[in-house]
Parts: sequence; C-alpha cells; structure tokens
Amino acid sequence: MRKLLCALLCVLVVMSNAFAQSRTLTGRITDATGAPVANASILVKGTSIGTTTNDNGSFSLNVPETAKVLVFSAVGYESIEQRIGSSNVFNISFTSLDQKLQEVVVVAYGTQKKPEITGAINTIKGDEVANRPFTSVDRALQGAIPGLQSVQGSGNPGSIQQIRIRGIGSINASAAPLWVIDGNPINTGDLSRLTTSSNALNSLNPNDIESISVLKDASAASIYGSRAANGVILITTKKGKAGKTKFNVDLEAGTSDIAYQNEKYKPLNASQYFDLTREGLINFGIAPANVDGVMTANFGFGNGVDFNWLDNVTRRADQQQVNLSASGGNDRTSFFVSGGYFRQQGLTVQSDFKRYTGNATITNKATEKLKFTLNTSAAYINQNAPLNGGAFGNPILSSYFLLPSRAARKEDGSLNITAPDFGPGALHNTIATAELDKRNLNQFSLRSNLMAEYQILKNLKFTSRGGIDYNILEEDQYNNPFHGDGFNVNGRAFSRYTRYSNLSITNYLDYKQNLNKDEDFYLDFKLGYEAQKSKGYFTNVQSQGFPPTSDLIVASVGATPIAAQQDASDYAFNSVFSVMNVNYKDRYVISASGRRDGSSRFGPNNRFGNFWSLGFSWNVDQEAFMKNVDFISQLKLRASYGVNGNAGIGNYDWRPTYGFGVNYNQLPGSAPNNPGNLDLTWELNKPLNIGLDFGVFNNRISGSVDYYVRKTSNLLLNEPTSLTTGFGGVTKNIGAMENKGVEVTLNAIPVQSRNFNWNVNFNFATNKNRITALVNDADIVTGVFIRRVGYDFQTFYVRQYAGVDPANGDPLWYVDDTKGETTNNWNTALRTADYGSATPKMFGAFTNTFNFKGISLEAQFYYNFGNYVRDTWGGFYMGSGNGGAFNKVVRQLDRWQQPGDVTDVPRYVFNGNRLAQNFSTFYLAKGDFIRLRNIQLGYTIPKSVTDRLKMNSIFFYARGTNLWTWVKDENMPFDPEAGVSSETNLEVFIPKTVTVGLNIGF
Amino acid sequence: MKIIKTNHIVIAMALGVAVTTFSSCKKEFLDLEPYTSLPAASAITTEADMQVALRGTYAGMRGVDIFGRSGPVLGDLLGDNVYQSVQNSNRYTLYNRFEQPVTDGNADGMWAQSYSVILRANNIIASAPTGTPAIDQYRGEAHAIRALMYFNLVRFFAKPYTDDPGALGVPLVTSYDINSKPGRNTVGEVYTQILSDLSEAYNKMTLSPGSLQFSKYAAKALEAKVHLTMGNMAAARTAALDVINNSGYSVVTAANYIAYWRNPAPLAGTNKTETLFEVTMDAVGNLAFDALGYIYNQQGYGDMLLADDLYALFTDTDVRKGLYSAGTRGGLPAVFVNKYTNIQTDRDDTKVLRMSEVYLIAAEASLSTNETEARDFLNFIATRRDPSFTGYTSTGAALLEDILTERRKELATEGDRFHDLNRLKRPIVRSANFPANARNIPYPFDKRLLPIPQRETDANPNIKSQQNPGY
Repeated sequence: MRKLLCALLCVLVVMSNAFAQSRTLTGRITDATGAPVANASILVKGTSIGTTTNDNGSFSLNVPETAKVLVFSAVGYESIEQRIGSSNVFNISFTSLDQKLQEVVVVAYGTQKKPEITGAINTIKGDEVANRPFTSVDRALQGAIPGLQSVQGSGNPGSIQQIRIRGIGSINASAAPLWVIDGNPINTGDLSRLTTSSNALNSLNPNDIESISVLKDASAASIYGSRAANGVILITTKKGKAGKTKFNVDLEAGTSDIAYQNEKYKPLNASQYFDLTREGLINFGIAPANVDGVMTANFGFGNGVDFNWLDNVTRRADQQQVNLSASGGNDRTSFFVSGGYFRQQGLTVQSDFKRYTGNATITNKATEKLKFTLNTSAAYINQNAPLNGGAFGNPILSSYFLLPSRAARKEDGSLNITAPDFGPGALHNTIATAELDKRNLNQFSLRSNLMAEYQILKNLKFTSRGGIDYNILEEDQYNNPFHGDGFNVNGRAFSRYTRYSNLSITNYLDYKQNLNKDEDFYLDFKLGYEAQKSKGYFTNVQSQGFPPTSDLIVASVGATPIAAQQDASDYAFNSVFSVMNVNYKDRYVISASGRRDGSSRFGPNNRFGNFWSLGFSWNVDQEAFMKNVDFISQLKLRASYGVNGNAGIGNYDWRPTYGFGVNYNQLPGSAPNNPGNLDLTWELNKPLNIGLDFGVFNNRISGSVDYYVRKTSNLLLNEPTSLTTGFGGVTKNIGAMENKGVEVTLNAIPVQSRNFNWNVNFNFATNKNRITALVNDADIVTGVFIRRVGYDFQTFYVRQYAGVDPANGDPLWYVDDTKGETTNNWNTALRTADYGSATPKMFGAFTNTFNFKGISLEAQFYYNFGNYVRDTWGGFYMGSGNGGAFNKVVRQLDRWQQPGDVTDVPRYVFNGNRLAQNFSTFYLAKGDFIRLRNIQLGYTIPKSVTDRLKMNSIFFYARGTNLWTWVKDENMPFDPEAGVSSETNLEVFIPKTVTVGLNIGF
Repeated sequence: MKIIKTNHIVIAMALGVAVTTFSSCKKEFLDLEPYTSLPAASAITTEADMQVALRGTYAGMRGVDIFGRSGPVLGDLLGDNVYQSVQNSNRYTLYNRFEQPVTDGNADGMWAQSYSVILRANNIIASAPTGTPAIDQYRGEAHAIRALMYFNLVRFFAKPYTDDPGALGVPLVTSYDINSKPGRNTVGEVYTQILSDLSEAYNKMTLSPGSLQFSKYAAKALEAKVHLTMGNMAAARTAALDVINNSGYSVVTAANYIAYWRNPAPLAGTNKTETLFEVTMDAVGNLAFDALGYIYNQQGYGDMLLADDLYALFTDTDVRKGLYSAGTRGGLPAVFVNKYTNIQTDRDDTKVLRMSEVYLIAAEASLSTNETEARDFLNFIATRRDPSFTGYTSTGAALLEDILTERRKELATEGDRFHDLNRLKRPIVRSANFPANARNIPYPFDKRLLPIPQRETDANPNIKSQQNPGY
C-alpha cells in the first residue's frame, strides 16, 4: 500500500507542474484595515488556473496570454473580479462581510443565514469528524453536540452506535433520529440479520463530510413531518471548489487496547477457582472426602492446566486508514473526488472491519440559471463480528465462563475440542471456533443524488432532487462439523442476502419577495413535494451435514437443506411541505413550516397527518440601541413551538394478519402473527424551545443556552396484553411522555495572541424524562424495566439487595421500600421503581485547545452522570455459586465464609445460594464516568517549508481516544458505556486507541 | 404589495406541480402489503385454509415449553423419575430444587405458547366453512387440541381436581378478543370445557390423518386420561374400553419396542400401532439444541438423568431397560436416557397418547369395580414389556401400587409422573440423586404448582390477585 501511495504522489506532483507558463501576475490582498488576507483564492475566470495567498497576503500566478479576468475570493469577504490589463501587479482590498450575519448554516431544504435561524440547530464541521479511529461518523458525535447522546454498546468495529437527541421520546417506536445525506433521507440502523451488530452508516466515509447539522426542535425539524420527532441529522458532503486542483492525502495508523477493566471482575485462575469450588461443593452437601474426586472428574482439578481465557481471546488490535481526495474545477464546473481505505481490528478474535470508499461529486453551471450537481458514493465493507451475550460461541462469554483448567490447545499444539474438556453440550472452545468457523458480512452501499437548480426568476428558484440509497448485505456463517454450534449437525452454514433500495425525490420552489426598497425586509417561501419508497429484499439459505473438513464452508456443500426462504418488506412516504420566513432587517425573524405526510406504515383510517412549526428570533445585537454597547458582540433570543411525528415502527404493524411458514411435517401452515390496529397512526411530538445565543468581548466568550420541553403523545406503544389472548402485546397510540432539559454551550478564548491561542469549549445537557400517561395509567413491566406514570422511561424495576446475613451468609433483600425488614426469599422481596434509571441525568463534554505557532493540543473529556448500569450476566460469575461449573470473577472471593463475616457477597454454594443470582440491585452499578475521549497533539509544518516543497500544508498528529476513564462505582464490571439501556452483554471490549497521522495538501 | 411578473411565477408553479404529479401520487403508492402474511379476517375462508391453519396449530404445539421440551421434562423432573446432573447446561436447575421463581421463563413460555395454540384452535373452531367430512374433521381436531392445551395448563398451574374442583384453575378463553383480561376459572369449569371439547372432537372426526394429528380415538384416549385425572373411574374405564375395543389400535410388541422409539417419523393413518397422537418434529421444523432429545442425550446437553430407584425397577429381561444405560457423568454414577436418540436431522417426535397408556388407564379405572379385569389390563402391558414376566398377582391396594409402578416404568421421561403424584395427592419421594433439601416434597406444597407468569399478572389486573401461593 505504501509503495503504491508514493508512486501516486509522484505522479500527482509531476502533473501539477506540467502546465504551460507565459505571464506572471503578482500582488497582495489586504482587508479594510490593511492587514494581509491569507489563503485568499485567485482564479483565472473560466479556467482552473489559480493560486492562493500566503501568510503575507501575497501571491504569484502564471497565467496564459489568453487569460482575461481574475476572480479574487476568500471566506468572509466579498468576491472581486478584475480584468487583466497590461499591469502585472494586482493589489486588492477586500471588503469584509459581517461574518456573523453571513455565515450560513445547512438547514432542511437549503441554507440559512445565522440570524434567520429560529430553532435549535447545532453544526459541526467535517474536520471535527475526519480522521478519527471510528468506523462510523455517529461515534464521532459523542460529546460534540449538547443534548445529543451517542452511546456505544459494543467495541466491535462496525457495530451500531445509538443516538438519542433530547432524550428518549418513544416507548416502543424508534427513538433514533432521521439521517438525511445531501437531501436524501436514508435507511440507517442495523440492517444486518446474522451479524451480531452492524451499522448502515459505516458506508459513509467521515472524511467526505463537509458539515453536519443537527436539528433538534420544531422550528428546525418539523419540516420533516412524521419522522422529525427524534431529531434530524443533515449531512452535507464535500463539493469541489473552483481553482487549481488540490490534493489531500490523509494517512493514519494506530493500535488499541481495552479502555476499561476492573480487576475485581477478572476471571479466577485455577487455584482460586478450585479453592472456591471446594468450599461451594461442601456447602452444597458433597461429603468433604468426595469433593476432590468430583472436581477431578468434572472440572479438571489437578490436571496442571491454568489457562487464562480472557488474555487469550483478547488481543492488542491495530488499525490504519488512508484517505485521498482531489478538488478543483473552473467557474462553470467543479469536482470533488475521494477514495478511502479504513481497517480496524477488534479487541477479540474474530473481530475486524475493512472499508473501501469512493466518492465523486460534480457540479456544472449549464447556464446562468441552471445548475446540476451529481454526487455518487460507493462503499464496500467487510466485517467480522463474534457472537455476543449468552451464546456459547461468544469469546467474551467463554473467557468468563470457561474454567482455567480447560486449555485451548492440547500439549501437541492441536486444538482441544473433545471430551472431557469440550465434549458435546459443553461450552465452546472459542479459540477453536474462531479458527474453524466463519462469521462474515460483506456490505456494498451506493448512494447517488442528482440535483438540478433552476433560477426561474431572480427571486424564484426551482430545485429538483432525486436520490437512491442502496445497501446490499451478504452475510455468511459457517460452523464446522468438529466442534461448537455445528458439531451436532455435522457442520452447518447460513447465508443471508439483504438488499434495501431506497428511492426518494424532492421538488420545491423557493420564492423570495422583498417587502421594502432596501431589500432588508423580505419574505422567503418554499413549497415542495417529496416521495420516498424503500424496498427490502431478503433471502435466507441454510444447510447442514458437511464433509469432515473446515475448508468447504458454503451452504451448497451441506448435504441437508434446512432453509430456503425469501421475503421482502417495503415502506413509502408521500408528502407536501412548505416553509416561510419573514426577515425584518435581520432583527426580527418569523418562521413557519408545514408538512402533510402520508405513510404506508399506518392504516387507512389514519394514514395522513399534518405537522407544523412556528418560530421567532430577535437579534438584539442588530437593534440600534445596541450599537453603542461594545462589549456585547452577539445577543439573540429564539423561541419555537410545533408538532412533528414519529413513524418508527414495523412496516406492517397496523395490519391484523395470519403469517405463513408455520409449517407442520413440512406442509404449509399458518397462524395469527399480528393483532394489528386499523387506527394506528404516528406519535405526536410537540417540542417547545427557548434559546439564547450570546457573545461578549468580541466573542472571546460566547455561547448558547436552550431550554426545551418535548411532549410526546399518542405514543406508539406495545401494550402488553393478557397472554391468554394468544398475543403478548398490541401496538396502540396510547400514552404520553415528556422530556425536558437545558443545554448549555460555552466557548471561551482565555488567551488569544499572535503565537498562542487557548480555546475552551464546554457543553452540558440535562434531560428529565417522565412518562405522563399510559393505558389506564397502569404499569408496564418490560424485562428489568417498569414504565410507570411519573417515572423515567428506563426505570429499573428491581428487588433491593440488603446485603449478607452475617450469621449464615444468606443473601438478603428488602421486603418493602422502607428498607426495614429483610428476607432471604428473593420471591417475596418487593420490586421497587424508586432505585434508579438507565438514563443519565446529564452528560456533555469539556474541551481545551491550545495552539502555539504550528503546534496544537486538543483534549476533550466526555462525562456522563446519574444512570445505573446492569450487569446482565453477573448472576453467573458473581451469583454465589450459580452455574458452579463456570468460572467466577475475583470479586466472588469476597464471599461470606464463617459466622460473623461482614461482606456484601453471600456464602458460596455450588449451583447457587438462595437465588442470589437473580436480578436485584446487587447487579446494578452507578454509571457515572468521565473519559478522556480525545487528546490530540499536532504540528503544522510552517508555510515557508511547505512552499519550498510545493505543498499547501503538512500536518502531523498523534491522537489518543478513550485513553483514560474514571468510573465512580468500584463494582462497575465492564465499560460504563453499555448502550442506551445501560445493560452489559459480554460484548467485545470498547477500545482505547493511540493513532498517529499525517495530512498533506498540495 | 404588488407581485411582479406574476405570469412567470404561475408558469413556474405549474412546472413544479407538473413534475410533482409525475412522481407517483396515487393511492397505491402508500398501500403496501406484506409478503408472507394475509389479512387475518380472510385467512380461514375455505376448507383448504382450515387445513393450513390447522397445521399451524399443531406447529404451535412444538413450542419449547409445551411439547417441545418443558412439558415432558417437568412432568418427570418435578416428580421422582428424572434429575439434573451436576454437570449441566443450567436448564431447569431451579425446578430440580423446587425453587422456581415467579419470573421463571419456562412457566412463562408454557403459558404463552399454550394460549397461542388455543387462539389458533379457537379461530378454526369459529371459522365459517361447514358441511364436508374434512371440515368436520379439522374442526374436531381443533377441539381436541384445545382440550389438550387446557388439560396441560390446568395440571401445571392449578390444584388437582381430585383435591378441590372449586380451586382456581386457568382462564378459559374460547374466542378471540385482544382486549380481554380474564381472571381464572375454577378447576371444575376448566375440566367441563375440556370434556365438552373432547365430546365435540369425538363426534366430528371421521378421518385417520396419522399419528401426527388427532383422530377420533386419540380424542377418546385423551378423554379417558382426563377422567382418570379427575378421579372419574367409571367414565375413564368407559372411554378407555371404547379405544381398546373400537379403535383398531394395537400395543407395540416387545420385539419392536426399541425400534419403535428409534423411529423419528410419524405413522400413517393406516399404521395403527401404539401411537394415538404425537407432536412431530422433522428435519426442518424442530427445536435443534432445544429439542427434548438434546437435553437427555449424552451427545447433546445430556443434563437429565434417570433416577437410580426407577432404573432399579427394570428387570434385565425388561425390553424397556434397553432404553437406559449406566455410566458416569460429572464424576458420579449415572443412568442415561436413550429414549430420544434422533438429535440430528429428523428429530424425535414427542409422544402424547400411546395405546399402552390406554391399557394402564383401563387397569386403574377398573380397579374399584373389577379387580380381575384391572389385573388383566395391567399384565397385558407388563408381560409384553418383559417376556419372562409371568404377571402380577396382587390385589387391592397392592395392585394399585403395581399399576402405578407400571405406569412409572412405561411412561418414564414422557412427562407423566408428576401429574400422577399430584392427582393422587401423594408426597414426592425422590432418590438420593436429587438435592438433599428437595428429596421429600409433601402434598400439598406451594411449588407443586407453577407460577402464573409475572408477565400475565403485570398485564392482567383480574388475575393479579389470583397468583398461586408461594410466588
């Protein structure tokens, strides 16, 4: 790879020098104060011949004799065109645009100047997510945006990242935001069916992103109607810039290790396990004289083996990425092309990820009125993910459950896959299955977007956009005939083919009407139509009975076909929408939006719905009376309210149906599979947002404060039914909940000087979730959670652990909420809803950035407070003997041993002590943590050097990700980041990563 | 405010609308139908639909917590026949100790899966088609299935009828209402429904679909077992004799006994040997690792072992002894169960009603009225299992014990023993293979009833206060 890259670089450098030269123009560009403008662009109009100014504002450009006009431009200044006369010297003075006023933000169906924004929108630039050691862009959003919770459940590269904006707004429907790439609403989430966890956004190379806008309130998001309730994330990809073709090469490599490990939750070694088990067997009732015999026969006692499974299934992992891009064009046509390669290993065997991406955008101004943009990106992904949770083939499970007396290999080095250690029905040797089995995902994704903009009149524009978002997933699983999941059926193979083809079109008119002569009082009006149809197509093949080799792994080799299935699932949306903004001198802005949505996901009784928003902003800083208040550089008040919806349910949930495929003796059978609900319709979400943006002392201190109340009603609720109906639940529009909170962003520049800058960014968000209505306001218990009116959505419904009886080592639980009386009968202990929730009370990030000359140092801490994390499988390795034949963790050694012992770990009894293994607060840990999410040290080579090398920029960096983690609870078993529902599931560990990188521009 | 160049705007708007209508705005665009389902309202409208829905109903009985595994396993494990090895996959551990919690997943599964089958049967019974023998047969089979499901539920979740017919049974649901939240009917009411369904089933069925479906005499055999369980000996005897005399079914011979258990396939309607009804598992429709055989077979989990005292009851000449073998597991002597050997491809079917049991029912039901006949029915089976055995000669109470012992031996690992001990209100005396604190389970004892699932009591306020004691 490296050789190839060098060759490529050489070719590119030669090419860029190969242009003919005939005349040299020089000059200097300054601003109104006479200060030099660096990095301004000078371009020969109608060509790609151009250059940029250096730090002194000077430039030198060779142009052909035919060149007629030069175009001077720079960010934040008005562009200037000048005819090339006889003079070869051009000294230009730029007029500065008021940057605050002119900075545009990508919003739904277009862009807006900052003062026009009435809603809660956060934006981040592409370089904040580029070159990160993350497989998908959503991982890079953690801590970046106040009120946006981005949580990882598994450290497996390519696994899903859960995003929640302003809390969880739904009980059973999706709580994930809508993602829109260049106007194209895309299918996101985990589209795989065999892979433990994957993420459709893996196909988007973060280095291709120009900007990200997160729409959080009604004013910003309601225009997306029935899918806006959980927020909308708009991605804008990079477009070409006119001028000499610029190349960028980004190289990065790194290594990772387990981010957080608790010594108390490491598995026992052989002597620890046998000492504990001897005690447990005696407590169980085995005669002491027989105990060693039982341990020898069952557990390999005395076989001299002490194998550390955890160390052997985990590994130090490495990763690389390479990104190349080129951008250029002339004033008619510009392009951006890029290619990317990303490879990351997971921290366990069988876990890795590779991605190849290509992206091309071309923009052409066909006439002064007509502009086309075509963007196409493709990605190929190869992902391997081990099993998780309770699967015998899960390497993490095996590292906690397998006895240290079972070795992965025999003395001769061959795999240990037979009795007595790994006989039929026993836990699997996951080192063997990692070698012999296969679990693979190949994903091919294509996104293409064609947009035409036609300027009908000076103040009327028509935009038409059509897009496709296409994902193909090929998943293969092979289980060898010798050991593991395939043993019993002489080997088996699964093949799943999944295709999602998602087409959408949007047409809209954008009309601007001036309402006064100065043209600073105007109305902007959009009217549009949008349609989308997504088709899912699925096949499923399974066979078993394989020849005795692990070299033949595809389903065709299997002697017995088990499954040959094909299915499909579609949805469609059809909408008209309109937005209107009235802007009075950038002082007062009123915005309104409306959308009428129809969806195939709802029954004919309630298929269409109307959504709207109203917003208002007052830019106080633009008032005449503020002109003399110098220390306030920005002051703005915003308010918005509206209605949007959530349609995030199954495609056919409303239909009462009989499903087929419920076969008997291989003859067709049918059975009721969905109770349905003809009245089903979307959830209604009514967000109120009040915001304040401020900047003082020339924006040395600036920030935003938002207060929101998000009321959701008509919840798409799976109401548990009496099981005697034949169904476990039915989806209804019942219930209501509320999220409210405060989001604060603060930016400060404590030091700003010629050579040294210090930036501080702090963001903070609270969210209080409360269920406000349920079916008859009756509690709904779902697994370990209770949905109760007045309580947080993710409230644990749990028996309260009361410690250990010092007299006999029994586990005790409280009989009631008063925490007075205790019992050793888990069944009669009271479940309470007043202990805690899986939802954090607050989270955010604190970032410091230092720049000294070319050196930059950035450190971001992410923090999360106020939730509890459940140790889902703790009942086995911390269950006081439950599952006695499985290994335990170090904390189990704290068990009660004799009367008078005071400890919180009960007496150890082989195969369990009085249901100590069952769920109680013993298995909840406080979730508070602080993590050094990102630390980066970088160095930019001085321009004098890069100029000599004929380069634009060279930047070196070293980055650490998750390098340090502080956890409040000493009994936190695994990484405190355990998905939105805060439940550990024996997943691949979340990594801490160190990478070094090099970015070159030329 | 005057808008300039109105004409242009109108033209532009028209253009926009034209393009808009170009893309589909039709009603069908939003009317997308599922690919593997049909509308419930029209799913059963013909005779053929009924047949398909009936197969789906039988398929439901494969559920892991009904006839798939838990039903038969608990019927022995909660009795004295089968115990959990110290080396195990941690399935049914708490049942081995009579400590199952209210949250127990198997009890939940049995409840949910049984009522799901009942819904399927209810829909067939309530469907429109009438008038052909096949339609009557299908409806009759649905009645029999419903009776069987309630019979299972009432035995696991409620007190025996022989103890208190007025005790809380299980909710009777005979028609579909997604919003119903029924409380528990009495045990007596549940048995009334079961007998009524079995009578319908017997009267409607005329065809012989094979051992994998109910037939007329399978329903009658179930009726005999229901009466026996209720303690209605006369009615049990009448029903059993109807099957013995009129069904044409024969008892499997000693010579064919092992081969009978090795066969994983259902029997055709023309083969009236032994199996009146079984739930079939085939090479595709099976429970794989969750299959019944997998938890017994030493090539599978092999967790469940035969109690030493039961193994000791088999003489060496008893053909049934060939279904068990002695060995060691977990460092302790163990008796392996080899009744279910088909744990790859076509899995073992779960036998529900066998002709041998009908004879044993006839024996027990005849005891109070005709001891000689009772002994003859008993010996009919006993001598066919052990050709060297000359037959029981006992009388009175001893004869009853012999019948019960023969039941225990013949029906071992088929999930019958626990229910026998319950209907007889006897203590469960378990061998030293079982955990020390769970070897003597008196009658009554709270945990001899399964918990009404917490999921049910959470969702159904009418049953909340009707939980079984001890949960």
